[in-house]
Amino acid sequence: MIGLALPVAHALVARKDLPIPAWLFAWGASLVLIVSFFALSALWQTPRLEDERWRPLGRRLSRALLSLPVRALCGAVGVALLGFSIYAGLHGTEAPDRNFALTFLFVTVWLGFPLFSVVFGDVFRPFNPWRAIGRTVGGAFAAIAGQRPAHLSYPSRLGRWPAAAGLLAVVWLEVVYGVNGGVAVGVEPHATAIAALVYSLYTLLMMTLFGVEKWCETGEVFSVYFGMFARLGIFELRDGRFGRRLPLTSSTRWATVPGSTAVVIASIASTSFDGAQEGAFKGAIVQVFEWLSDTGLSLTTSLRLANTIFMLLTFAGVGLVYLIGVRGMESVRGAPPLEKLRSGFAHTLIPIAFAYLVAHYFSLFVFQEQAQFGYLLSDPLGTGTTDLFGTASAGIDFKVLSANAIWYVQVGALVIGHVVGLTLAHDRATAYWGDYRQAARSQYWMLAVMVAFTCFGLYLLSVANS
Amino acid sequence: MPSRPIRVAAGATAVIAALVLLITLSKSNSDKTSSPSSGKVTTIVIKHGKPVGGIAQLTYNEGETVRFKVDSDVSDEVHMHGYDIMKDVKAGGSVSFAFPATLEGVFEAELEGRKEQILELTVNP
Repeated sequence: MIGLALPVAHALVARKDLPIPAWLFAWGASLVLIVSFFALSALWQTPRLEDERWRPLGRRLSRALLSLPVRALCGAVGVALLGFSIYAGLHGTEAPDRNFALTFLFVTVWLGFPLFSVVFGDVFRPFNPWRAIGRTVGGAFAAIAGQRPAHLSYPSRLGRWPAAAGLLAVVWLEVVYGVNGGVAVGVEPHATAIAALVYSLYTLLMMTLFGVEKWCETGEVFSVYFGMFARLGIFELRDGRFGRRLPLTSSTRWATVPGSTAVVIASIASTSFDGAQEGAFKGAIVQVFEWLSDTGLSLTTSLRLANTIFMLLTFAGVGLVYLIGVRGMESVRGAPPLEKLRSGFAHTLIPIAFAYLVAHYFSLFVFQEQAQFGYLLSDPLGTGTTDLFGTASAGIDFKVLSANAIWYVQVGALVIGHVVGLTLAHDRATAYWGDYRQAARSQYWMLAVMVAFTCFGLYLLSVANS
Repeated sequence: MPSRPIRVAAGATAVIAALVLLITLSKSNSDKTSSPSSGKVTTIVIKHGKPVGGIAQLTYNEGETVRFKVDSDVSDEVHMHGYDIMKDVKAGGSVSFAFPATLEGVFEAELEGRKEQILELTVNP
């Protein structure tokens, strides 16, 4: 079979998830509908999540967390790990599952930080290697020149659009780029290292132009992406103090920067595409691939192009569903302007994006982290002769998760994500519409959007990969 | 409270949408459900380093014994991933596998040297 799609996730892990059985799909979807209608009639009538009720925790804790040695140590760890990943990618084995770089960058960091961020707050920020380098260089510049470096003013209309584009680019590298003669093989360590180098240069350049913090807020893909998930949790470092707030509340202010909607849609779309590439979309992708290669393009170009087209279509499709929902809400009497609605409900998709991540990558994460802290730690370059910690021959215990456990986590994540998204949307509606009846009416539209995303997510999980 | 007709209409739409999804799903599932492979010994024939007839599909329930044979015209190592069983095969020779299906999930067997997938093994709970 030509054009077998094999994204990086599957190049790494020897055990793939079984599709969720039809009965569980039916139960999941029904549960979603029942919960949704119950929620609509039973929820509160005045906004409750717009106020964060932020309160700082102990001053001593803040001082310790923000002290120079801690910040320097975190930054150094980040830079060292990035540097080592690039080194491993360039000089280690090209076998994706035996090289430290791929598992570390695409599993431990890319899938781990969304989870850590929800639980502990924006933990990527202190470890962000480019921020650490940028701040060090900026500090040195200030010390030598006696003034802060001057920056261009960042065009505010650009907002988070560079991060949205970057997010798609990272996923493109992960699931589309790695092709060999018409057969998808997943991205290889060497190419990943080169990409990391290019991205580092680009990021440092942008930081020089616009300033470190400004670029981290708007353009730096990983800061923006992980920071988005951190908004769901309760911990935050703010104005030099470490504190806590009500869960979910911080997300209500996340999408005020232009382009934020595109970031969350890119997140949902890229997870969907990764899930559908080998399953739901496979037939169509192969058809486009064959059609493209018939027109005389090389097999490699054709497969990349076919996958790129479907990835962009997924992005457009997810965006379209959301925009239809927004249009619908606009038709309800007393609605705020379209612009405000569009960004005003974007944060309600963050829990769904998170649920998609958990549903699609939970088992991969559990299996591959065993490799990360087992043989990849002892033999990071995959030489077969190194054994730093005596764990080089440790394998992955696939028995830690039964198929049933994976299914329940998947369906559970989607249903919970759905409920949380619905709650956020309902709360926002009560804030935008003074009249509760109109607010509830507007939410039929968001309800339809959420049901569509959740059922689509369930559907993707239920289609057998082949 | 929103008016009753709207609520009923929205509910009906959603239920219909779910039903349509469910039907398309069960249809596509029944299309590709392969019959269980227990009891049989499938032979995978390798010609010019590729499996004849495409990647073989085997489906077992947990606890059954997975049995298959590889007839190869090339010399390589057959690697059953996940179960991590490796057996060498000589050009023109054959090699047999028989092991209990203890891990649930979907697994690949490859000609390791060529990185050519020859089998997809599905083990249902």
